[in-house]
Amino acid sequence: MTVAADQHIEGKRDVTLRVFRLNPQVDSKPYYDDYTIPVERGITVLRALNYIKENIDASISYRAFCQAGICGSCGMRINGISKLACTTQVWDELSKCREEGIIKIEPLRNMPLIKDLIVDMDPLVAKMKHYSNWVDSTMPEAEMGKKEFLVSEEEFLRYDKATDCILCASCVSECSILRANKEYVSPAVLLKSYRMNADSRDAIHDVRLGELVQDHGVWDCTHCYRCQETCVKSIPIMDAIHGIREDAIESRGMKDTAGSKHAEAFMSDISKKGKLVEATLPFRTNGVAWTVKNLLPMAVKMILKRRTPPPPPLVKPSKGIKQFRAEFKEMSDHVKQDHKTHNK
Amino acid sequence: MKPFDIIIVGGGGGGLYAAMEAMKTDPSLKIAVLSKVYPNRSHTSAAQGGANAALANKAKDDSVEMHIFDTIKGSDYLADQDAVDILCSEAPKIIRELDNMGTPWSRMDDKTIAQRPFGGAGRPRCCYCADKTGHTILQTLYEQCLKKGVVFFNEYFALNLSVSGSRMKGLIAMDMKTGKIEGFSARTVIFATGGYAKMYWNRSSNAAGNSGDGQAIAYRAGIPLKDMEFVQFHPTGLRKSGLLVTEGARGEGGYLVNSLGERFMARYAPEKMELGPRDLVSRSVETEILEGRGFDSPAGKYMHLDLTHLGADLIKSRLPQIREMSMYFEGVDPIEEPIPIRPTAHYSMGGIDTDNFGRTVMEGVYAAGECACVSVHGANRLGGNSLLDILVFGRIAGHTAAKEARSFEPGNISKEEVRESAEEIRSYMKPSGHFERYGALREELGQTLGNNVGIYRESSLLQKGISDIEELKERFKKVRVFDTSDVFNTNLLQVLELRNMLDLSETVAAGAYAREESRGSHTRTDFPNRDDAKWHKHTLATFEGGKLALGEKSVTMGRYELQERTY
Amino acid sequence: MKRYAYYLSCINESMTKEVDRSIALWQKDLGIELVHLHESTCCGGSNLDYVSPKHFALVNARNIAHAEKMGLDLVVSCNTCLMTIRTAKKKLDASPELRAEVNDILKAEGLEYRGTSEVRHLLWVLIDDVGLEAIKAKVTVPLSKYRIAPFYGCHILRPSTVLGKDNPLDPSSLDQLVEALGGSTIPYTHKNRCCGFHTLLVAEEESLSVAAEALGEAIDEKADFIVTPCPLCHTVLDGYQAKALKQADIHSSIPVLHLSEMVGLALGYTAKELGVKRHIVS
Repeated sequence: MTVAADQHIEGKRDVTLRVFRLNPQVDSKPYYDDYTIPVERGITVLRALNYIKENIDASISYRAFCQAGICGSCGMRINGISKLACTTQVWDELSKCREEGIIKIEPLRNMPLIKDLIVDMDPLVAKMKHYSNWVDSTMPEAEMGKKEFLVSEEEFLRYDKATDCILCASCVSECSILRANKEYVSPAVLLKSYRMNADSRDAIHDVRLGELVQDHGVWDCTHCYRCQETCVKSIPIMDAIHGIREDAIESRGMKDTAGSKHAEAFMSDISKKGKLVEATLPFRTNGVAWTVKNLLPMAVKMILKRRTPPPPPLVKPSKGIKQFRAEFKEMSDHVKQDHKTHNK
Repeated sequence: MKPFDIIIVGGGGGGLYAAMEAMKTDPSLKIAVLSKVYPNRSHTSAAQGGANAALANKAKDDSVEMHIFDTIKGSDYLADQDAVDILCSEAPKIIRELDNMGTPWSRMDDKTIAQRPFGGAGRPRCCYCADKTGHTILQTLYEQCLKKGVVFFNEYFALNLSVSGSRMKGLIAMDMKTGKIEGFSARTVIFATGGYAKMYWNRSSNAAGNSGDGQAIAYRAGIPLKDMEFVQFHPTGLRKSGLLVTEGARGEGGYLVNSLGERFMARYAPEKMELGPRDLVSRSVETEILEGRGFDSPAGKYMHLDLTHLGADLIKSRLPQIREMSMYFEGVDPIEEPIPIRPTAHYSMGGIDTDNFGRTVMEGVYAAGECACVSVHGANRLGGNSLLDILVFGRIAGHTAAKEARSFEPGNISKEEVRESAEEIRSYMKPSGHFERYGALREELGQTLGNNVGIYRESSLLQKGISDIEELKERFKKVRVFDTSDVFNTNLLQVLELRNMLDLSETVAAGAYAREESRGSHTRTDFPNRDDAKWHKHTLATFEGGKLALGEKSVTMGRYELQERTY
Repeated sequence: MKRYAYYLSCINESMTKEVDRSIALWQKDLGIELVHLHESTCCGGSNLDYVSPKHFALVNARNIAHAEKMGLDLVVSCNTCLMTIRTAKKKLDASPELRAEVNDILKAEGLEYRGTSEVRHLLWVLIDDVGLEAIKAKVTVPLSKYRIAPFYGCHILRPSTVLGKDNPLDPSSLDQLVEALGGSTIPYTHKNRCCGFHTLLVAEEESLSVAAEALGEAIDEKADFIVTPCPLCHTVLDGYQAKALKQADIHSSIPVLHLSEMVGLALGYTAKELGVKRHIVS
């Protein structure tokens, strides 16, 4: 058993890292510095930055700690995408450059900038606190340590992936809604909230869920899937977000929100016509007053262009709707049965 | 600022547990955790394998006593046996406590906490969460600290203890976000800053910041360090980066294979094979390499850790992080081909000398976790005992400090003292007489340690190591911080960390040179045997009158007599 | 003539009727025939999946099963329908239990979900089946005078575990089509970003801010129009454009075309025939 020598022949080429710079003490606006260095195959972006810092410019500033993809410190945007510098290969990035041979390195978005590639994590921590991102144990503190909770493997698997989160904030940086509103809960905090709510040892499920369905909460997610697509741990974050929504709809008392009503309108329309009745969706979601105030001016234009959706009686049901309704109802019976079994 | 009752330096598992326990012990105390990284970034997160506790969930005949024996034997009889008793007796309670607080342990079919076999343990008693145990424990503790409202000073770098005479007055630290030096007057300080093995740099699995800050600060303040020569080399570091492949990989059935295709552990530990204790497996790998049975590459010689026979399903479900790391850092998918590995400096058994309650010789100063040396690991730590150590002794130190804080007068750090500290730091930025580059010094330190104070040690090598370190310390006086900014000056931080590593490397090399025997992780080719008559004792390294003085301390026995250690 | 079962999206039957109309004009020119699947029902619009996962599976198993019965692939022209139906298919294909449960219900209608039909976007059919060279050959009015901003929309790209055609971080299929039709694309960093549609009724301000960013870049880059393969994106970028730009204090406007209209223009049909006049922004 010998290893072919050529397996280890590692090429070398010049690569330019174009690094975002801003030192708030002296700079009034950000700029970019180009560093061209020789890089061999197998070198990570973090190692390349370390090389620059040690040999060319000691002042470039970034966070790095474990260098092994587990601490989450070195989140940054590399060629426009938020990821960890320590697990990103320079050679892999070369094919993603907008300008040949130039890798662009920028700080994460949606968080306040401190310096160069370093952003402030405090707002994220504040949200973790606001949404009680911890297990509030059903066991009183004085009783702890005496006996184990019994937890099924099935339950563990429900939040196993979610506990992979290393809070690198790549998802925070990529989130479409956070760009528009910094108050938004953020994908990482939704993920952690989901994980806590799925834990049978936790006692404040309803309190947390109650907070999540408020403004800037779970219903503000716009399903763009950017968080999930860029998650450095490949966590299906949208499943967690949908999981919280499913939970909110199932839990009585959480239904009185625009998001919940909007989602349930789909179910109701499909069950009746097989089609969505778009004309009435706005006021079923937000009420008549909101609709008149917000959508009337636009409605006028749409009427002029004959773009308005047809009123409910004119929405043509799908072909074979009777049969479809029967099938839909049969499934409803299955679901009822499932709930019964589950509650037992 | 009003003086603190307790300042905890370090926000890993040990520091966070200390904070929670101190708050629980006396809620009226003013307590804060000061950490150079956000606590959830701490190196506790990198502990993959698990934490030992004789829960007897898996092996019904497991017991605390067996855990004690395995730990003492594993330590090559250098651990203090009363301390080991505390470690192992508290273990089941602390694992359950974590479970009660929400740690997502992997589970067995009967819904109890899952356990797996680990090196040097007579029973499968390592509790785990897939291969992210440390990460999930750290998350749990951080979450619970947020819940309890623990006060954090995140991204503060500890510089020195403020001491007048023998009285500790508090801590001087730098706010990394502003560069401002601040005095934290305090009745008590707990150090929980983790290990010092990063001084080996590229041949270390540690995080870049594992520079032994707490140990170096304590050392400069005259507090003795214990058993510093004992640095554990983990047998399976990735070839290029030194990053760690957890023992879990072997626990799940991975093979170590040399270039002849042999499972060579049969030669060294015929019974335990790959699951022999770490020091033994590391030496075995190193011996195979030295005797020419390794694979060759520009990145150095290496062995194979072969998981391919375990199958894709098991690797994906039980060892996902290992798979990811092999692909990211070596370009190897362990489902398809073996992982290239070699030993890597991984854990520091030595540290700040404490008693069983976390106290140091200086009143009001405590230490816990990898930063401390109680000693529960002696000359060699067993896999699964390090997470346990930080939890058990983090809690004990927090409890002790909370009980004793009021018995100390609050310190008062003068403005002059803070200013002096700031001026010392600015001096590194002066161009005149400062030209040495941080990177070069650090690289040379790592190299000389790896070559001369590594797995196999010998008198002339160690002498070379000691003189190299002396020379590096001289050159460090001329080191230049090229970045002169105040906000998040990471160049300055690296230099300050290097200073700590240099101070500590001297104690490691000196201890290794003095200890003329082989025990646990410390292997002298010129003294290949354990010498209980002369060396069944701890070494102490104390900074006295501006230089290092070596002393000794007896080992507490009382449970198990000295025996030869074989597996 | 290659045939496909064509899924009828709710929005194309109500607010964006021009999509199906324009496709009808040119489909035969490109050698394809989309057979309207009148039995198809609403896919759940990326909402039913969490309101009731089982109904979600049933509804879309039925949608696909109708196509399977005809022995044809199911083609859609709305991104969210594409993502939603493919998500259901992925779940059905992975779970024999779920498949059995829905098939037990569907058999009353003489249907069975077997997993034999692919679910594809019209854009993919144009590129993979018709082919860019064939399309180029049919162009009679090249779009050479236009600089075009290709806006992909989320659900034709993400989650890539469900979609998997384009690189979600740097998609190119729509760019290729624009070029085949003789047009040129602007460098458009928002091409794979979000339009904000799915929160329009829940968090309108945020949605419009998201839309304004995408519109703003296309305007800044002096694109002649935006093209999108998704009628939901179109509804925001066109229908809500004035409101979005006003909120962002941008004083300009930009036309937004459906993919089907852009193809029609290059194949020689007039804007009027294609229904472009029905748009809010002209």
